[in-house]
Amino acid sequence: MKGASERAGAASGVAIACQGVSFAYLEGDRGVKALNEVTFSLSAGATVALLGPTGSGKSTLLQAMRGLLEPNEGEVRLDGLSRGEPGFAERQREVGIVFQTPEMQLFAMSAFEDVSFGPRQLGWPTDDVRAAAEEAMEQVGLPVAVFGARHPYSLSGGEQRRLALAGVLAMRPRVLLLDEPFVSLDPVARRELAAVLRALVAGGIGLIVATHDVDHAWALCEERLVLDGGRLVASGPWRFGDGGEADLVQHRLAVPFPVRLWERLGRPLTGAPRSAEQAAEALVAPAARKGSG
Amino acid sequence: MARSEPGPASTPWTHWRRFATPPIEIKGLHYRYAASETEALRGVDLRVDEGEFVAVVGANGSGKSTLARLLGGLDKPSAARRAAACGHDLLTERGRWAARRAVGVLFQNPENQIVGENVEEDLAFGLENLAWPSERIRARVDEMVAAFGLGELRRREPHLLSGGQKQRTALAGVLAIPRKVLVLDEPTAMLDPAGRDEVLEAVERERAAGLTIVFVTQEMDEVVRADRVVALERGRVAFEGSPRELFAAPALVRRLSLGLPAAGALALALADLGAPLQPLPLTLDELVAALVGTSSGSGS
Repeated sequence: MKGASERAGAASGVAIACQGVSFAYLEGDRGVKALNEVTFSLSAGATVALLGPTGSGKSTLLQAMRGLLEPNEGEVRLDGLSRGEPGFAERQREVGIVFQTPEMQLFAMSAFEDVSFGPRQLGWPTDDVRAAAEEAMEQVGLPVAVFGARHPYSLSGGEQRRLALAGVLAMRPRVLLLDEPFVSLDPVARRELAAVLRALVAGGIGLIVATHDVDHAWALCEERLVLDGGRLVASGPWRFGDGGEADLVQHRLAVPFPVRLWERLGRPLTGAPRSAEQAAEALVAPAARKGSG
Repeated sequence: MARSEPGPASTPWTHWRRFATPPIEIKGLHYRYAASETEALRGVDLRVDEGEFVAVVGANGSGKSTLARLLGGLDKPSAARRAAACGHDLLTERGRWAARRAVGVLFQNPENQIVGENVEEDLAFGLENLAWPSERIRARVDEMVAAFGLGELRRREPHLLSGGQKQRTALAGVLAIPRKVLVLDEPTAMLDPAGRDEVLEAVERERAAGLTIVFVTQEMDEVVRADRVVALERGRVAFEGSPRELFAAPALVRRLSLGLPAAGALALALADLGAPLQPLPLTLDELVAALVGTSSGSGS
């Protein structure tokens, strides 16, 4: 088993591919199909928004990607490896998953204890556990010196959410799967979480975010997967201005705010800004913008 | 504007008053959860007049949901100088039961608010509990089905509904019992954008029909539609005023862990670059109008 310190900075994503993945829940005596022949492949380090109406299969797909659900048909490949092949199990451990409202699962008496739990379960040496927990708390903006001894329940809602994220980061995943990470956070807590995720992406980690919040998804992710009724209806980079809006609107989703603004202003959507800050910069420098189109 | 100890005498909203007894009248409301050392509400004053649409905002843990539950008579206040919903005293068991009938409460999670086997049974549930005669129940259910556009769904089982359809069904179920006040606790938080629009449209219809509405939300784009905003901070009212007044005070917005509507955030980013828009736009339409106005000389 490799120690944490040897693997520090190794975040470079895991290539995840789904090949014809189907999954049915048993409800009473009949199967309800949650995923229906879902096929796509994501390169290592990809940042992907997983979008779709409520009940479209997003959470199920995240769990299948992490290996928490065994597909009825098809398979999930990690870095090209199938389940059972040498190296697959190790890759699977490097896929971290953060469930919806993960702060519900905080349980230890101190923030540091809670974050240490995962790496300790992996059997890492004590020094490595400590180093991994400290680094993870730093990454989510809850430095151990300040927050380590705090009781998890004494933290604010946004801090609890980030602490739960640190508990997953401490196991040094190369890809993070997040299920509705922004839901029921106040606006400031959302902004802080988004900043943490942006920094993780800059450090090379792969990100797959299931969310209804298209504005955050657009700001964070280069690609999007759209599910509806368990089927994949769109994949690849975001597309706007060439009919790509339909991939969202026809599936009960919204077009990101900056894109709607660009549309209303009659500007080319191919270069639509990702954030309010980018939009503002483009708006005060219209000449520079025109040249790059 | 921002004040930590709002007194009822100083509220600028007295001109809203239409009736001697407002639907919601709260003074010095305190609440402490059984296992907690600190109070969730620490002396809240709140008056909501008939037909008003009041948004309640605040950081996680500021007391919004606690307030919503208390307004609906679902919990007993720890203490209050006065706590009344539709004239019913929330400090007494009897008053809370009466308040539960007059005040409808809709919560965040669409998954656990539907009790019927299908949509129309869910709409009938509350009326059956009130022992309405069956022909009156049938007529009322028909009315709600029509009003909430649930015609095609009326025999559908809850698990086959989308999140937005579930929330609309739950809202129709809450309102099937004639209510004077509707309290909504982040009713769109778990919905997809289309479901959110469906629920907001239904709420706006009730508002137009004159229902008094208390709307708890974290979505600043939803706050914009309110007549008045009440911001909670650690169990106290820290701001009371119009959405425009709130969003025009960026330091206060930050202190309260709030944000700006998307249009306002963009305007603020422009101001940071030395190109402010006045007045601050709060919607996409206002933002487009302001931008087209400022750049009319440059053409395209």
